Amino acid sequence: MLEINHIDVFYGDLQALWDVSMAIDEGKIVALVGSNGAGKSTLMLSISGLIKPKTGSICFEGIRLDKLPAHRRVEQGISMVPEGRRLFSQMTVLENLEVGASVRTARKARFDTLKWIYGLFPILSERKKQSAGTLSGGEQQMLAIGRVLMSQPRLLLIDEMSLGLSPLLVQEISRVIEDINQSRKLTILVVEQDVQLALSLADRGYIIENGRIVGQGEAGELLCSEQVKEAYLGMGLPGKVK
Amino acid sequence: MNAVIQTVLIGIAVGALYGLVALGFGLIMGVMKFVNIAHGSFIIVGGYIAYWLFTLLGIDPYLSIPAVMLVMFAMGLILYRLLFSPLLKYPRAEMRLDKSLLITFGVTWILDNTVTLLWTPDTRSVVTSYTGSTIDILGAKLGLTGLAGLILAVLVAVALHVILTRTYFGKHVRAATEDSGAASLSGVNVQGTYLMSCGIAAALAGVAGVVIVSSYSIAPSGGLDWLLTGMVVIVLAGEGNIAFILPAGLVLGLVQSISTLFVSPAYQQPIALIIFILVLMFKPKGLFASRG
Repeated sequence: MLEINHIDVFYGDLQALWDVSMAIDEGKIVALVGSNGAGKSTLMLSISGLIKPKTGSICFEGIRLDKLPAHRRVEQGISMVPEGRRLFSQMTVLENLEVGASVRTARKARFDTLKWIYGLFPILSERKKQSAGTLSGGEQQMLAIGRVLMSQPRLLLIDEMSLGLSPLLVQEISRVIEDINQSRKLTILVVEQDVQLALSLADRGYIIENGRIVGQGEAGELLCSEQVKEAYLGMGLPGKVK
Repeated sequence: MNAVIQTVLIGIAVGALYGLVALGFGLIMGVMKFVNIAHGSFIIVGGYIAYWLFTLLGIDPYLSIPAVMLVMFAMGLILYRLLFSPLLKYPRAEMRLDKSLLITFGVTWILDNTVTLLWTPDTRSVVTSYTGSTIDILGAKLGLTGLAGLILAVLVAVALHVILTRTYFGKHVRAATEDSGAASLSGVNVQGTYLMSCGIAAALAGVAGVVIVSSYSIAPSGGLDWLLTGMVVIVLAGEGNIAFILPAGLVLGLVQSISTLFVSPAYQQPIALIIFILVLMFKPKGLFASRG
C-alpha cells in the first residue's frame, strides 16, 4: 500500500534520515520504534508531507506522493496524528473535528463520520462545545485521533500514541486502534516509545536508529529478538556490557 | 453633560473606524504571521478609487463600496501571488516576519508613489449633499458620515465574525492561524486559505478607505498614520484575536476622545502610543486576555 524507497531527508545541511526504505501492507498495523532523536518523527512527517525528502520516492497505491503538499496527501487517504497532537486549542471540539473533514469527499460524509467517532469516544460528544485547550490529556488524544479519522483515511499515522497518558487510557486508545483496524480495514503506522506495547499491538515492526532502519520483521519475532530485548526492554544478558 | 455625551459619541464613531482599519491588518497578521506595512496604503488606494468613482461617474461613495471591495480584493490576490507566496518557502513563521516587513514596506512605496502620480499629492475628500449634516442623539450631534462609518464597521466586523465561525473557509483560517502545519495535516489547503485571506483583507481596507474619504480626507502619504493606528488596535486586541479588534478600536477611540476633555487634542497620537507601550509591557496578549 505504502512504499518508501531509499529516502534521504535533511534539515538544512543536517541529514536526518539515511537511505530509509519501508513497505506497509494494506490492513496491517505497523510499529516504528527507536530511541529519542532516531528519526521516527522525521519519517512520519516525510510520509505526511510536512517535510520533503531530498532523494528517493514515496508511493501510495502506485501514486508518487513525495512532490504533493500535505493536504493533497490527505485527499489521497493518508492522515496523521502529529507528535504533541497539535490540536486547534482555541477552537471547539466540534470545530476541530470539522476541520479534520476538510477534503471534499470527507466533507460530504462528515455527519456520518462524526456519529461514528462520537460512538468510539462518547466523551467528545459531551464536550463538543468546549474549546479543545480545556480538555484533559486523554481527551485531547481522543480528539486528535477523532480529527484524523474525520478525513476518512485509509492509512493512519500516529506519532507518539501513548505519550503523557495514564496506563488505563493507553489501554483504551489501544483498544480503539485495534478496533478501527479490524472493523474499518484501516492500515495504521504507529510510532510508540513503549516498545512492548507497540510490538504487541502491531503485525510488523521497524527499528530505526540514528536515521537508519536497523531492523524489521514480524512484531512477535522482534519482541523476542535479542536486539530489541537488549536495546529497548532492559532485558540484556547478564554480564554483557553495552 | 452634553459635552461628555458628545465626546463619547465621537469616540465611538472614531473607534469603530479604528477597528475597521485594523480588521484586515489583523487578519493577515494572524493567519500568515505577516506584518503588512502596506495595509495603510491599501486603505488609501481604496479611498482614491471611491473618490474617482464619485468625481468621474458621480457614484455615491457608500454605493461604490461593492466595486471598491472587488477591485481591492483582486489587488490582494495579485500581491499575494506575486510577492507574498514566495516567502512561504521559509517553513517557520519567525523567518517570514522580517522579510514580510521589508517586502510590504516596498509595496507601500510603490503604492504611495503610484497614487501620487495618478491623483497628485493634494488632500482629497468626497463632498456629497449630506456631508456635514448631523443627527441629534441624546442632545449631542453626530455627523451622518460618522454614523455611516460606525454602522459599516459593525456590519463588516459581524460579517467577518460569521465567516470565521460559521463557514468552512473561516474554520480553515482559524486553524491555520493557530497551527498551519497541523491545518495542512488535517487536509486544509493552507496556501489557498492565505490567498483568500489576502483578498479579503485588501477588500476590508477598501471599505475603511471609503469611510475615511467620505468623513475625513485622504492624501497619498496618509497610509502610514492609519497603519500605526491599526497596529495599536491589534496590540490592544491581542494578536490573532480577530473578534476583539472592533472592541479594541472602540476602547482606543473612546480613550483618545475622552482625553480631549482634559488635555489638548494634539496629544491624541501620543496617548495612543503610550497605551500601545503600556499594553505591550503589562498585557502583551491584549487587553481582553484572561491571563497576561
